[in-house]
Amino acid sequence: MTPDDQLALYARARFARAFEAAVARARDAGEVPGVVHLNGGQELVELGVFHQLDGARDRVTGSHRSHGLALAAGIAPAIVAAEIMGRTGSLSGGLGGTQHLVPAGGLFMGSNGIVGGQVPLAAGAAFAARSKGNGGIAVAFFGEGAAQQGGVMETMNLAIVLGLPLLFVCVNNGWAQSTGADASAGAPLASRARAFGMHAESVDGGDLGAVDAATRHLVSQIRTNGQPAFLEAHVSRVGGHYHGEDQGYRKDGKLTDPLDRLRATLVEAGVTAANLHRIEEEAEARARAAFEEAALEPMDDPSTLALWARDLGGLT
Amino acid sequence: MKQMTIPQAVAEALHQVMAADPAVFLIGEDLAMGGVFGAAKGLKERFGPARVVDTPISETSFLGLGIGAAMSGMKPVVEIMFCDFLGVCFDQLMNQAAKMRFLSGGTVSLPLVIRTTMGAGDGSGAMHSQSNYGLAASVAGLRVACPSNSADAAGLLKTALEGPDPVVIFEHKGLFDVETPADPELPPVPFGKARTLRQGADVTLVAIAAMVPVALAAADHLAKRGIGVEVIDPVTINPLDREAILASVAKTGRFAVLDEGAAFAGVADALVSLVVREAFRSLKAAPAAITPPHTPVPYAPALEAAWLPDAARVEAAILKMMEDV
Repeated sequence: MTPDDQLALYARARFARAFEAAVARARDAGEVPGVVHLNGGQELVELGVFHQLDGARDRVTGSHRSHGLALAAGIAPAIVAAEIMGRTGSLSGGLGGTQHLVPAGGLFMGSNGIVGGQVPLAAGAAFAARSKGNGGIAVAFFGEGAAQQGGVMETMNLAIVLGLPLLFVCVNNGWAQSTGADASAGAPLASRARAFGMHAESVDGGDLGAVDAATRHLVSQIRTNGQPAFLEAHVSRVGGHYHGEDQGYRKDGKLTDPLDRLRATLVEAGVTAANLHRIEEEAEARARAAFEEAALEPMDDPSTLALWARDLGGLT
Repeated sequence: MKQMTIPQAVAEALHQVMAADPAVFLIGEDLAMGGVFGAAKGLKERFGPARVVDTPISETSFLGLGIGAAMSGMKPVVEIMFCDFLGVCFDQLMNQAAKMRFLSGGTVSLPLVIRTTMGAGDGSGAMHSQSNYGLAASVAGLRVACPSNSADAAGLLKTALEGPDPVVIFEHKGLFDVETPADPELPPVPFGKARTLRQGADVTLVAIAAMVPVALAAADHLAKRGIGVEVIDPVTINPLDREAILASVAKTGRFAVLDEGAAFAGVADALVSLVVREAFRSLKAAPAAITPPHTPVPYAPALEAAWLPDAARVEAAILKMMEDV
């Protein structure tokens, strides 16, 4: 990754963080219907993977914590914001919401309200890419909590057996809501993937250089050999499982914010404080603007539900 | 017309659609050998392992793969060997398949077909004999078809692959040895269009899948006693042809449903509820729901035979209804 790429990625990461802060403010202001799961701490992993992807042929599925993936895939921030706020002018018009971002098509295939539910779906996208012969790959983002789900392990096996171009990205933040990593046997999780015969790497998800090297290598390998691979990225969950959670169970002490770390690297490389400050201000302003724009969208009329009921075969 | 069994007709329909559309593929267990009931016969040989995909015993994963592939432009036909195994992958069915189109605000289509088998009567016991289409039908976002003959099994499969919603087709094992006439072209069969198999002036009897021949036998016997039974095969449970059922009840004033599914909170209850709500003033007698008892399917042949509704039970229920003036 060139210094310019690094700076551009820092800007996107800052925007993702600012966007999540705006989600939190909207939630606190009562403008978001339910609980929201923010992605603070895993931005560099998400953006590092997307840096290797091709919007025309690749597909990505994510967990409940996927606002950042939708943004990284290039969906307009105001549309994502409107979806999170349950408004029209969004992906679904108010039917999906924060955990169920389901775009009509494109690079980001969807987030998921069921832990691990998205992983088999990515196998399907990988299968479709293989069938179409377009050289596309699929990526499943999931946490180490989801790694304990049977369907995730089934999919690791199936991906090997069928030879699917699928990258498993386990974003290991050490916490399955309030359950620690000691609930996961056979650590590191990358070694589970190796037991399935899959190439697997582990990285520090706060180290952009390491993330970039690993994702570049893994994505290129999958495109070349058509076989699945596994990336375990260790990150710190900057906030709670959900925004506003009392994290009384947490004992992992003071966290190093990966964005601060990247910023320090950039300063060392000679990027001026003024330049960084401008990037940060812009991120903040764009995030605010996205939510202001989304807030102008009306809520859909409840009559839409009667239309759906008829559409889906309801008897009355 | 050609005499075909349901597995023969399904295999032939799959040959036709796979030859016509490269987006169609099959995935499931034991398909390479032609499927355990023969509904995939000759497909692996003709279309190869990339389109007839044999899997480990991993229903969650391969159903999910089908859903993701459908969201990515493919037309998967996923075979769940017995509908009892839907329990293994129920998250993928109930949450993933059923909800994606709705959650996308209608922008995502899932031309996904889940073929599965159902039905008691062959001594398979409690976990290979259920008829749980009512469970699937209770999940908004799923379409549910229950063919009673070979032409419908094939034609519904073709229609299902062209729709925007995931469809579960429940094929009854008890019908698999029965040959029924089918147009060799196996034309698509519309969803939500019931068939009136027999006209009658006194009672409307809706029967599903393997209960259709039972209903027809009961209607024959009752005709000899001067009672006219109108037998309706709904073909699909969702969408349901409520108009056909309500029009018939408006004519007969009596309603019975014959359903191998759940005795409680199943399709039979849903249909009785529909008729009571929508045709209350037409009714001359309380509707009857003829189902198995509310127990798992028993294993012993005598118990299983007693568990399954038969023509005698249908006749008794209808005779009672005729006396209820």
